[in-house]
Amino acid sequence: MAKFSVVGAPLPRPDSLGKVSGETEFLSDIELAGMLHGKILRSPFPHARILKIDTSKAARLKGVKAIITAQDTPKIKFSFIDYLADKYALNDDKVRYIGDEVAAVAAVDLPTAEEAIDLIDVEYEELPAVYDPEEAMAEGAVKVHDKERNISWQMQRRFGDPERGFVESDYIFEDKYVTSRQCHCCMEPRGCIAYYDRTGALTLWVNSQTPHTLRQEAAKILDIPASKVRVINPPIGGGFGARIVVDMKNPIAAIISRKTGRPVKIVNTRKEEFEVSKTRYAYSVYVKTGVKKDGTILARQLRTIVDNGAYNDKAPATLSFSGSMFTMLYRVPNILYNAYVVYTNKQPGTGFRGFGNPQVTFAAETQLDEIAKKLAIDPVEIRLKNCVRQGDISITGAHFSKCGLTDCIERATEASGWRTKKGKMGPNRGIGAAVMIHTGGGNRFYGYNSSSAFIKVSEDAVITLVTPAVDTGQGAETVVAQIAAEELGVRLADIRVIARDTELTPYDLGAWGSRTTWVSGNAVLNAARAMKEQIFGVVAEALEASPKDLTARDGRIFVAGSPDKYLGFEDAVHYAYKKRGMPLSASGTFHDEPASSSKDWDTQTPNFASACQVAEVEVDPETGKVRVLNLTAAHDAGRTINPLLAEGQIEGGFAQGIGYALTEGLIIENGRTLNPSFIDYKIPGFPEVPDSKTILLETDNPGGPYGAIGIGEPALVPTAAAIANAIYDSVGVRIKSLPMTSEKIYAAMKGRSL
Amino acid sequence: MALGIKIKVNGEEHELLVEPRDTLAEVLRERLQLKGLKNSCDVGVCGACTVILNGDPASSCLVLAADADGTEITTVEGLSEDRRLSPLQVAFVEKGAVQCGYCTPGMLMMALALLQERPNPTVDEVRSYMSGNLCRCTGYKKIWEAILSAPSTAPKTREQIFPAGAKEEGIKRADRTGLFTIKQD
Repeated sequence: MAKFSVVGAPLPRPDSLGKVSGETEFLSDIELAGMLHGKILRSPFPHARILKIDTSKAARLKGVKAIITAQDTPKIKFSFIDYLADKYALNDDKVRYIGDEVAAVAAVDLPTAEEAIDLIDVEYEELPAVYDPEEAMAEGAVKVHDKERNISWQMQRRFGDPERGFVESDYIFEDKYVTSRQCHCCMEPRGCIAYYDRTGALTLWVNSQTPHTLRQEAAKILDIPASKVRVINPPIGGGFGARIVVDMKNPIAAIISRKTGRPVKIVNTRKEEFEVSKTRYAYSVYVKTGVKKDGTILARQLRTIVDNGAYNDKAPATLSFSGSMFTMLYRVPNILYNAYVVYTNKQPGTGFRGFGNPQVTFAAETQLDEIAKKLAIDPVEIRLKNCVRQGDISITGAHFSKCGLTDCIERATEASGWRTKKGKMGPNRGIGAAVMIHTGGGNRFYGYNSSSAFIKVSEDAVITLVTPAVDTGQGAETVVAQIAAEELGVRLADIRVIARDTELTPYDLGAWGSRTTWVSGNAVLNAARAMKEQIFGVVAEALEASPKDLTARDGRIFVAGSPDKYLGFEDAVHYAYKKRGMPLSASGTFHDEPASSSKDWDTQTPNFASACQVAEVEVDPETGKVRVLNLTAAHDAGRTINPLLAEGQIEGGFAQGIGYALTEGLIIENGRTLNPSFIDYKIPGFPEVPDSKTILLETDNPGGPYGAIGIGEPALVPTAAAIANAIYDSVGVRIKSLPMTSEKIYAAMKGRSL
Repeated sequence: MALGIKIKVNGEEHELLVEPRDTLAEVLRERLQLKGLKNSCDVGVCGACTVILNGDPASSCLVLAADADGTEITTVEGLSEDRRLSPLQVAFVEKGAVQCGYCTPGMLMMALALLQERPNPTVDEVRSYMSGNLCRCTGYKKIWEAILSAPSTAPKTREQIFPAGAKEEGIKRADRTGLFTIKQD
C-alpha cells in the first residue's frame, strides 16, 4: 500500500472544471449593477512638469460620470517600503515615465471613457530625462527624484576577506552581464473593480496575489482605515509577481467610486501591460571570481546595478535576495556584494518569478562555465566541487539542514545524457547545464511568514476549508485541499475550499516567494490535525477504542491493524452531531517564529530549494536562431503533493526561461517602449517549447507539510544560464546580455559585436 | 447606427442590434453573456478569443459582429452537453493542462478545430497547428498531451471525473442507542 493516498497522487484540479466549461468568472467577466468603466490618462513624456490640466471638454461628453485629478486624492506618497515612498496615485506636479498617471475618467461604457481621455488637455513642460542606470549614477546626471546620484537604495555585504581571497587566487575572472526587462505577460491583464458603498466601506475586487497586503496599501493611499477595506480576489489569470504590490488603478477606481456612488472597473489593455506596467528588474551585473587552478572558488565579488525605473517597488528585497542566493550557492569563503537601486525615467520594476535569482544565476552560472573551460575542468565537476551540500553552514550562518543539490546535479546530468553528449552532439548542437538554490518557503524579511486556516464539517459531512492561500493558477487551492484530505483520510473532491476574501480569510502575505505550500500548507495541516482529533474522539467512543489507535484513510476511520473495525467518515460526523450533539470545527496556525527576529541572510529563508537544469540547443548558422531541443530538470521538491501541479510549475518555468533567455525583453528607446504587443514582444509558443523531462526529488523536509517545500519559482532560475551554456557548446559564442537574440548570436559568430 | 444581425450560437438563434464597430468577441461576451472566450491581447495574436465560425477557428476579436451575420458559431460553452464535459475538456482536466485557465477556452476551441480536421495528429502537427494560442502558465506540454489523448477519452460528468467521497453503508458494531441500523457488510 502506498504511504499516502491523496498526497503524491496526480489528481486533477477541482477548479479546472469551471475553467474548461467557460464558467469561471475572472475579474473582467464581473459585471455589477450600475458599474462604470474607467480609463487613465497617462503621461506621454518620460519626464515633464505638468503646467495645466483642463478637463472641461471631457466633462461635457455625454456618458462621462466623473473625472478626477490629483486634487481629488489625499496626495499621499506611497511605496511598498514606507520610508521609500515616492509615488502619488495621480500626479499634478511632475511625471517621471511614459505611463505615469495624470487623470482618470469613468463613463457608462469603455468607448466613451476612451473618448473622454482624448478630450482632456494637459500642458506639459518637457524635462531632460535619463534612461541608463549607470549614466543616471554619474555626477551631473538628470535627477528623477531628489536623490543623490539617483540612488534610491543600496546595500553592501562582506564575508571573509575578499581582497586576500583574490590575492591567493591563481586566476581571476571579471565579466559584465546585462539582463532584460522581462514582462510578466500574464494572459489576464491587471485590473480592478472598486465599490465604495453608501456606508463608507470599500470593496476592491482585484486579481491580486496579495489581497491582505493590498488592503493595507490601498487604505494607506486613500487615507482611510484598513478596517474599511475588503479585498476580494477573483480567480487569477496568472501572477508571476505582476500583482504583488498595489497598482494605482486600485485607489483611482476607489476614489471615482466614492465620487459617483457606483462600482468602477478599470482594466489594463495589453498595450498598457507592456508599456506602462512594472517589469522584472533589469540588472547590470559585474562578477569577479577568483579560483585556484584546481577549480576551488576562493573569492567572489558582485556589483549589481538595478534599473529601478521611476518609482520604488520591490528592488531592495530583490537585491537582498539576489545577494543571499549568490553568496550561498557555492562554498566560497570570501564574498563582497554591492548593490544599487538606481532611478531612471522608465516604467518601474517589481517582483517576477525568481525575484533577482534568475538575473544573478545567469551571470554567475555562465561565468562558471567560462572558468571551467579555462581551467580545463568539466563544468559539472567544478560545480560538484564547490556547491553547497546538506549539513553545510554557509558563511552567512544559514544552515542547510536539507539540501538536495548534489542529487539534483547527478540526476539531471544522468537523465539528459550529459556525459555522452557534451561536445559530441554534432555540428551546431550543444548541451549546457546550470544549477541553483532558492527559497521553498517564502522569505522572512517582512517579519511575518505565518498563516492560519479553518475547517468546518457540516452535519452532512461536507468538509469546508477556509484558507488565505492565493491561487494564481498554480493550483494553491488544490495543494492545500490535498493536504487536508490526506490528513482527514478523505478524497480531494470531499474538500471544498473557500478563499479569496479578506473578510473571511485570516491574515496571510499571499502568493510569492514559493511560500504557499510551506506556509499555508502547514497551517492547513495543523487545522486538519485539530479536526481529526475531534473526529477521532467521536469514533473512539463509537468503536470503544483509543483515539491513538485510530487511522483515517479512504473515507474510513479504523483501528490501525484492524481495518474491519471502522466507522465511515459520514457516519462519524453523523454520530458527532446527532448522538453527541457536538459541533465540528477547527482552526490551525503555522507560526514561523524566526520571522519576527530574522535580520539577515542567515535565517531569511526557512528552507532551501535546489535544482539542476540541462538544456540542449541547435543554432542555425545562417541566422543565429536558437532552437531548444530538449530540457531536463531535477528539482528538490521536498515531497511532491501533486505531480501534475509540480510538473506544471517546472514546465511553465521552462517556457518563461526560454523566453527570458532568447526572445523576451522590452526595447525602450528614449523612454518609449517600442515593442508593446505580443507581435513584437515574443513569448514562447507551442513551437518554441520542446518536450522536456522533469525529475522531482523527494528529500522530505521535516518542516514542511508531509515534507513538501515550494517549487513555483525555482523552475526558471537556471534556465537562461543552461541555454547560454548550451549555445556556447554548440557554436562557441558567449553572449553576456539577455535576451540572447539571433541577431546577437549571428553577429558573435561572425566575429562582430552587436 | 445600429445594424440588425442574425447569428446562431451553440445551436441557438439570436437576433441582435449591433454597432458597426462592435466585435464578435464583445457581442458574444457582453450581449450573450458567453464569457468563456477572453480578450487578452486586443490584436488577434494570442488565441484567447478563439471560436469556431462556420466550421473554422476564428479570432473573434478580429471579426466585426456585423460581418458575422448569418453565421454559425460555437463557443466553449457549447462543448459540454447535458452536464457532461466533452472528451477534449475531460482530457484537459485529467492531464493537468489547465493552470490559470485564461487561455483554456481559446485552446479548447482551437484544439477542437484541429481534431476535426485531423483526428489523430502527431505531436509536431499539434504544436504547429496550435502555435497561434499563447499560454504563460503551463509551458504547453500538458496541453499537447491532453489534445493527443482526447480521441481516446470519453465524455464525463463531474461525478465521473471526481467520484464522490466514500459513502459508507454500515457500521461494524451494534449501536446501543439504536440510532443507526446495523447492516451486513
